[in-house]
Amino acid sequence: MAQQIITAVIAIALAIGLSALFFLGSNYLLDRFLSSDSLSGDAARMKRDNLRESIRPWIFVGPAVVLLLVYLVYPVFASLWYSLLDRNANEFVGLANYAWAFQNPNFLVAVRNNVLWLIFVPTLATGFGLLIAYMTDRLWWGKLARTLVFLPMAISFVGASVIWKFIYDYRGSGEEQIGLLNALVVALGGEPVTWIAVPFWNNFLLMVILVWIQTGFAMVILGAAIRGVPEDTLEAAIIEGANQFSIFFKIVIPQIFGTVVVVWTTITILVLKIFDIVFAMTNGQWDTNVLANFMYDQLFRAGDIGKGSAIAIVIMIAVTPVMLYNIRRARADEQ
Amino acid sequence: MKKTLVVAMTAAFAAGVAAEENPTRGAAGFHWDSLDKFDDMDLSGQTVTVAGPWLAPENAIFNAIVSHFEAATGADVQYSGSDSFEQQIRIDLQAGSPPNLAIFPQPGLAADMASQNLLVPLSSDLRSDVLNNYAAGQSWVDLGTYADASGKDNFYGVFFRVDLKSLVWYSPDNFADYGYEVPETMEELIALSDKMVADGQTPWCIGLGSGAATGWPATDWVEDMMLRLNTPAVYDQWVSHEIPFNDPRVVEAIELFGQFAKNDDYVQGGAQAVGTTDFRESPNGLFDIPPGCFMHRQASFIPAFFPEGTVVGEDVDFFYLPAFESKNLGNPVLGAGTVVTMPKENPAARALMEYLTTPLAHEIWMINGGFLTPHTGVNNDLFANDTLRRQAEILQNADTFRFDGSDLMPGGIGAGAFWTGMVDYVSGDSAEDVADSIEQAWENL
Repeated sequence: MAQQIITAVIAIALAIGLSALFFLGSNYLLDRFLSSDSLSGDAARMKRDNLRESIRPWIFVGPAVVLLLVYLVYPVFASLWYSLLDRNANEFVGLANYAWAFQNPNFLVAVRNNVLWLIFVPTLATGFGLLIAYMTDRLWWGKLARTLVFLPMAISFVGASVIWKFIYDYRGSGEEQIGLLNALVVALGGEPVTWIAVPFWNNFLLMVILVWIQTGFAMVILGAAIRGVPEDTLEAAIIEGANQFSIFFKIVIPQIFGTVVVVWTTITILVLKIFDIVFAMTNGQWDTNVLANFMYDQLFRAGDIGKGSAIAIVIMIAVTPVMLYNIRRARADEQ
Repeated sequence: MKKTLVVAMTAAFAAGVAAEENPTRGAAGFHWDSLDKFDDMDLSGQTVTVAGPWLAPENAIFNAIVSHFEAATGADVQYSGSDSFEQQIRIDLQAGSPPNLAIFPQPGLAADMASQNLLVPLSSDLRSDVLNNYAAGQSWVDLGTYADASGKDNFYGVFFRVDLKSLVWYSPDNFADYGYEVPETMEELIALSDKMVADGQTPWCIGLGSGAATGWPATDWVEDMMLRLNTPAVYDQWVSHEIPFNDPRVVEAIELFGQFAKNDDYVQGGAQAVGTTDFRESPNGLFDIPPGCFMHRQASFIPAFFPEGTVVGEDVDFFYLPAFESKNLGNPVLGAGTVVTMPKENPAARALMEYLTTPLAHEIWMINGGFLTPHTGVNNDLFANDTLRRQAEILQNADTFRFDGSDLMPGGIGAGAFWTGMVDYVSGDSAEDVADSIEQAWENL
């Protein structure tokens, strides 16, 4: 244990030290070897200064660009290449892996489920977050309520899945129901249901978990935005006789719309990567598979590099428009 | 709060240390002569990294076993276990950072890795060790022999630690209370189940839930049924895909499993509970008062999940899942096990492989329980209890031993489509539909 800590400390010190040495050192070398002091003539001096100052940013950005190439750009192109190869990445098979995917009923189910997740989870999480943020804003117990809504944010996806597994738990009729949902159903005189094994609807039962986790995130961000809405616009609306609904939809929402979109797209990107909840709850059984789990199955269970990479590329293509939209909005906000 | 946590952790730590028994060299009964040839080796300074599926407490037992090897040779053995070993080892091997030894729970995966030349063939000495020292040695050699990238068969793996699968667990007290008798044939087993239903009881507990591996307990059922309906040759053809998965004989085996699992009167919680009940919780019905069920078919490892304090042989016991008297197929036994392979060679790794085939290595795990071995050179008195000794006898008396078929199939089937198909089957699909879809997945591999 002590040895690991010492190693970690040394590693951190070394990393920081070397980075500092690199930046300071290369900066120093640049100043020294491309110095304009020894030159005579303003034009030559100016030229040298320009050259030096155009190199300087690359010293600072360079390492980040190299890391980006190694850890982000290279894997994307490697995946693209692998997706055209066979299961052991030996032979070139063209688009066969993609053809296989789009003819595979399980893949199509995963696509359908991903679309369902994309429609419902960001909508519900953002909607609930907005409502709760607005309604608890002026309540004396609002802080407590917001804390409770925010708490699930601190739980990992797998941890949350374990909690919800108990809520959906099923025992045969006549036995004591330890699942909350079935206990309620039985108390009301119904028959227990194997919730997570009911095709199609079970998707929504899994989505509830992510909504439960993400509502707190939406609420906090949107709550801050709501508090940023200028008081005078609200007062003016009240003086004009607007009711609470009009104030909310016509005054508050338009003013925080930018934040709503950011929250929405952030959750959308999260949903496109959804894996853990499905993995822990059903592992894609009973028609609940999503693309990320399908990819995992192909890559690590079936050991098929080509098909797994093809699905990874499909996921990447699906994420790209959302990312581009996010970046464009961020740029627009800056201007 | 903090203090109790520290106390609890210390207690857990102490319990962990006390859990494994490690005899000192020279203790009576053990084959210490196994160590003699390692005493002459000087491997100090060499490290053997071992990756396997065993977590606590098994990793401590494994460390106890290798501690004698380390003491004799001076080599340093570093074992690391993972609960997602199958995924991890694939990454490690293909990324070119393999451990020296890898312990596969699925020979199918080991064969897959061997076919990509990611494993090092073992010496012919080791092969003849297994051939001569293991009961039914040829079958164990066959199970460790895979084709390399050029299609040439090599011997790659030594089995270490075996599970016996064809077991039915029951409560002797409950059987006595209701006047039931242990069945000797499959016909009697079905008649007994019907009798229990007629008495207003539920005969079976079946659960297929296993997190990311949900469905596997059903594959064991189907494999046991295959061996009871067909000759071992047909079983081998099925496993190696020489006959299609939707062959009528396979469908018949799935339906025979369904006769137990898809029958609301037969299973605790009804048929729909089978797919969602966790396999670790499914035996609990045996211990309910009144009993939730009377029988539970599961491998030799399942006592680890029985309620605390359960004594095997008293509170719960087992019988061999019998064969059909009318079929004349003898007493087939289904089993599984972990196979030690060598992805990265060095002298210490080779020596450790050799050590793991010695009686001593097996005996140290035997005294710790939860270990069966086909090694005939071990001192059977060292088994931790009579239960294990009786299970070892079933293993030794089998007319036919066959390895868990799903573990021999390619990963996409044996750890994918077959699992999913079984969950679909107990959720309502027909055996033909399920077999068709698994066959289709196999063709598309």
